[in-house]
Amino acid sequence: MACFALVDCNNFFVSCERAFQPQLEGRAVVVLSNNDGCAVARSNEAKALGIKMGTPFFQLQKLVASGRLEVRSSNYTLYGDMSARVMGILRETDPALEVYSIDEAFLHLDEVAPEKRRELALSLVRKIRRWTGIPVSIGIAPTKTLAKVAARFAKRYAGYRGVCEIDTDERRRKALSLTEIGDVWGIGWRGAPKLISLGITTASALVEMPEDWVKKQMGVGGLRTWRELQGIVALDAEKPESRKSICTSRSFAEMITSFDELRLRVADFAALCAQKLRRDGSVAREVGVFIHTNRFRPELPQYCPFQSIVLKVPANSTHQIVGAALEAASRIYRPGYAYKRAGVLVDDIVPAEAATAEHTLFEDPEKIAAAVRRRKKENQISALMDAVNNPSSPILRLAAQHTGPYSEAIRHDHASPRFTTHWNELLEIH
Amino acid sequence: MDDLEILKDLPEIHAGFPSPSQDYMKGVIDLNKELVHHPAATFYGRVVGDSMVDAGVQEGDVLIIDKALEPAEGDLCVSYVDGDFALKRLSLTDPSGGDEKGVWLLPANPKYKPIKVEEGNDFLIWGVVTYIIKRMR
Repeated sequence: MACFALVDCNNFFVSCERAFQPQLEGRAVVVLSNNDGCAVARSNEAKALGIKMGTPFFQLQKLVASGRLEVRSSNYTLYGDMSARVMGILRETDPALEVYSIDEAFLHLDEVAPEKRRELALSLVRKIRRWTGIPVSIGIAPTKTLAKVAARFAKRYAGYRGVCEIDTDERRRKALSLTEIGDVWGIGWRGAPKLISLGITTASALVEMPEDWVKKQMGVGGLRTWRELQGIVALDAEKPESRKSICTSRSFAEMITSFDELRLRVADFAALCAQKLRRDGSVAREVGVFIHTNRFRPELPQYCPFQSIVLKVPANSTHQIVGAALEAASRIYRPGYAYKRAGVLVDDIVPAEAATAEHTLFEDPEKIAAAVRRRKKENQISALMDAVNNPSSPILRLAAQHTGPYSEAIRHDHASPRFTTHWNELLEIH
Repeated sequence: MDDLEILKDLPEIHAGFPSPSQDYMKGVIDLNKELVHHPAATFYGRVVGDSMVDAGVQEGDVLIIDKALEPAEGDLCVSYVDGDFALKRLSLTDPSGGDEKGVWLLPANPKYKPIKVEEGNDFLIWGVVTYIIKRMR
């Protein structure tokens, strides 16, 4: 029988901060979104104070002033490095590890004898904690969806010492009866209201429904979840290298009204997406742009459009991605609004080799030759940009991009040093 | 298409004499490989102050810290004591010669006194120092 272990880092961003600032241990800590907008990670103590995900920073300032809450600006450089360390340790156990997000990964334990799985997981919890300082929870079960359920229990109840295993039918039933429907992977807060209105409030209530009903109410995706909750593997292995989309978005320190201002930001975000695509060796077929007004200023007119452009040939050059993003932005921009946030989403991503093979199949050879020449030139420019630019302060940009140092526009007043990646920001030892 | 396939399979041909130095280029010393035994557990720190100066550790030195190692008597350790990271030598025996058991953090500078870790201290051994990088000029 298949066996998956979901390894989930507890309150990951907060734990990364604590790893280098032990004084934050046991205290209420919140990590703020880009630009110090709102809470994106909370320690258990912060959750106990009633702070919700997405609570705007200004609503937390009283707690900070009274010394009951510590805040940190998000430090993605640090979190990315710490994540790589955790994944590196896990990869020693399972080289085919599936990294699901910055703080979660699935291990395949099929080959580990059932009676040894819990001990293995416990040793991983200890090792990751000691080597990196990051606390993790591990859920072990015959399907990924059940492993997620198990990991929630491992995290919630100290008695598990970080590892919960759903290895018998009895345990599975008990776990499902204690799992709210909105907490099931694949259903979440989007799918929950409808199911609750139909009387399905727990995972076990869903499992008891007949297949036809599930298919009719929830479609094929819901059916997969239903099967997985019964211990039948229904989710395919996702290859970690085949990311489906990449998004770069930020809030602005000051609201933006002019298109000239906005297009500089959009061009920058698009250039970052293109760079990430090239780093992954992939190309994207779709380039989308969204712009948002400030939802915390309800007295202002609100407008949150999204537009995507489908490229004829999937691309990853800065030239192509920025061009498409600017086209999309010009289609949705309306004057008279104050924009607080914008983002570029590149979608329908495939490996670069696959895309080349696909598009040479049908077109006439001359056109291909011309396209290849043009592409080659653009790729050379992109390669040059990659060689010269470092991610935090690009030197070479397209004329469409922003020129000054970009970070001055982003607020991160409470940032910790980038302890692990920047020579001048190392931990100070007295 | 077929022609291209054939071309692709041809071996690379180099004109001229091969450089004799090419054979010796393989083994470049990689400090990461030599000095970092547990990459996932290795962190760097910078020394501030002079508490270990008699052990040759000066302000500005960079420490390679391995959190995977079990701290042992005599190790140079990065400890966390009541809000600060401290670089000290770990001792499990009383430096003043008594036979009391406990944990002591020993400085290497007569200006500072050994620290005895007490129950009420917020204390942890954060990592063991494996190498010190000094800038000499």
